[in-house]
Amino acid sequence: MQQIRLPQAIVERLTPTQIAEQLATLTTGYTPDPEQELRESTYYDLPVLKAPVWHWEIIWYFFFGGLAAGCYLLASIAALFGSREDRIVARTGYYLSLLALLPCPPLLIKDLGRPERFLHMLRMFKVRSPMSMGVWAVMSFSFFSGLTTLIQAARDGLLGHARGVRWLALLPQSWLALPGSAVALLLGSYTGVLLTATSIPLWSRSKLLGGIFLTSAVSTSIALISFVLRLVRTPLGTLHKLERLEWSVLLLEMLGLLAFLRASGRAARPLVGTAPTEHGTTFWRFVFGTGLALPWLLQTLSLLTKRSPQRRFPGLLISLLVLLGGYFLRRTMVEAGHTSSQDARTTLWNAQS
Amino acid sequence: MIVETSQRTTSPELVQNIVSPLLKQPVPPMQPAMGFFTDTSICIGCKACEVACKQWNELPANEAHWSGTSYDNTRQLSATTWRHVQFIEQIGRERPQISTLPFFNNDRWLMHSDVCKHCANAPCQEACPTGAIIRTEFDTVYVQQDICNGCGYCVVACPFGVIARDEHASHTARKCTLCYDRMKDGIEPACAKACPTDSIQYGEVEQLKALARERVGLLHERGVSEARLYGVDDNMLDGGLNSFFLLLDEPAVYNLPQNPSRPSNNVVPASLWSIVTALVLSLLGIFFFSNNK
Repeated sequence: MQQIRLPQAIVERLTPTQIAEQLATLTTGYTPDPEQELRESTYYDLPVLKAPVWHWEIIWYFFFGGLAAGCYLLASIAALFGSREDRIVARTGYYLSLLALLPCPPLLIKDLGRPERFLHMLRMFKVRSPMSMGVWAVMSFSFFSGLTTLIQAARDGLLGHARGVRWLALLPQSWLALPGSAVALLLGSYTGVLLTATSIPLWSRSKLLGGIFLTSAVSTSIALISFVLRLVRTPLGTLHKLERLEWSVLLLEMLGLLAFLRASGRAARPLVGTAPTEHGTTFWRFVFGTGLALPWLLQTLSLLTKRSPQRRFPGLLISLLVLLGGYFLRRTMVEAGHTSSQDARTTLWNAQS
Repeated sequence: MIVETSQRTTSPELVQNIVSPLLKQPVPPMQPAMGFFTDTSICIGCKACEVACKQWNELPANEAHWSGTSYDNTRQLSATTWRHVQFIEQIGRERPQISTLPFFNNDRWLMHSDVCKHCANAPCQEACPTGAIIRTEFDTVYVQQDICNGCGYCVVACPFGVIARDEHASHTARKCTLCYDRMKDGIEPACAKACPTDSIQYGEVEQLKALARERVGLLHERGVSEARLYGVDDNMLDGGLNSFFLLLDEPAVYNLPQNPSRPSNNVVPASLWSIVTALVLSLLGIFFFSNNK
């Protein structure tokens, strides 16, 4: 049988599912062995772990929280290290950061079993609990983002010209940028650390999720800022800087994801595999394919051909693809975590060593 | 469940209701650590523990559901099921035959009353951001129902799949309390009281651990070489379990993880990787923005 089937598989065109399956095997370094897995003991395949109670609210919170953190970070870097022309990145970034932050608290509160008790989170300051740290990160980031944006708005004349506003505009915005960026980095990464500090095999086996979420926060933020800047008149040099930054951050994100898959091995199957409950087809299509590899290739081409960055078409498309990929990264990661929690055999395997 | 709103509250009461979760209350004097020793070798699968637990704690009955696999139709611990009896049917086991007589064959039926492990380092308690999950004066793990806001972090932290969020009534996290109310009055928990074979034993953890070691030694002496203790030594979650088991097969057969890792141990490595990534990203940003050619 093996001898007859092998040449056929080469001759036949591979279906998308087969390609996804081969990619899954290649990246995780684990070839599913159903016979061996069936020999492992479980209790009637009932799940060892409870499924997470986190759904769409958390996915959108991860996405918007990442954008808020990334936009603030980029705006601060542009303000502190950029040229005069790059000030437009700082202005756009600070406004977008506050806008992206607005939906976060409602999403987090709605997700609770008892939303009216959300203030109970502030009873504790628990360094070993990433959720407690995250609550304080959101709180203090709201302060920095709010104040920085208020100063920006006062300087831009959006708040009128009253005496208080002029006084506000004189506040040193750059002094806030440094502590604000530190809190932004905490906000962008703690969500991944939170998922790592659980018993779910997919989330916890490699310890890289915090870094991946942070990289994705920055790549989606560059995409969002350059999308807005392409719609208005923006100095070419600034756009070019953003393009080159986007190219390198996307590369970093792909390398991070590949390291995550390799370190997770069998535990990463729910994310990349193609069984009915696994999320591999979505992952390879929308996260790795059109969310990372395609925009990175387009960016490479547009940087190599040195066409005018003012041309809107490839730039806007790259931004949209990266934003879509960032959303699907959070979504497949959370949903595959649900699948991972229900797989008794992999959970027991994961707890062996 | 939520009665505060239905009654008219005066304003001082209202203020007290808001402020009281923020205040620290006096801590009761410490008592010896109490726990369970569940000896599965003498469990007969009567489910009296399940019923006693439901009755004492006023937990609603499970929805009727045929598992189709065994006499276990409860299937798992949940927010409203705090004791769960497993039925493991091992037919045609590979093992040296003792005798050809039918009642000496190798087929066996393992029963196991599962419960919260009241870990010495409880991952649910370490994860809890509100401080709702505490250690009581009896060193047990207890969820304060008036504090928990149902964030669900403990649910994914627990490596045994014990604690769950009650989606129907309280919308908070619930699990075995080791009958905290009974313990305070010096009475043993309902399940241990109801157990007809003393498969569930309640007592001081140190005494129970000595008892468990003695029991497994006796079983080994009598040729039950597959008997083993689960959660008695300090290796499990860096400190052992206050509610531990004597098993007759590998832990995986009972859906128990052999050596689960402590989720809070992941915080430091995950944070370090995040810091490395943060440095790389910041340097990339600084490099490209300060490069003005």
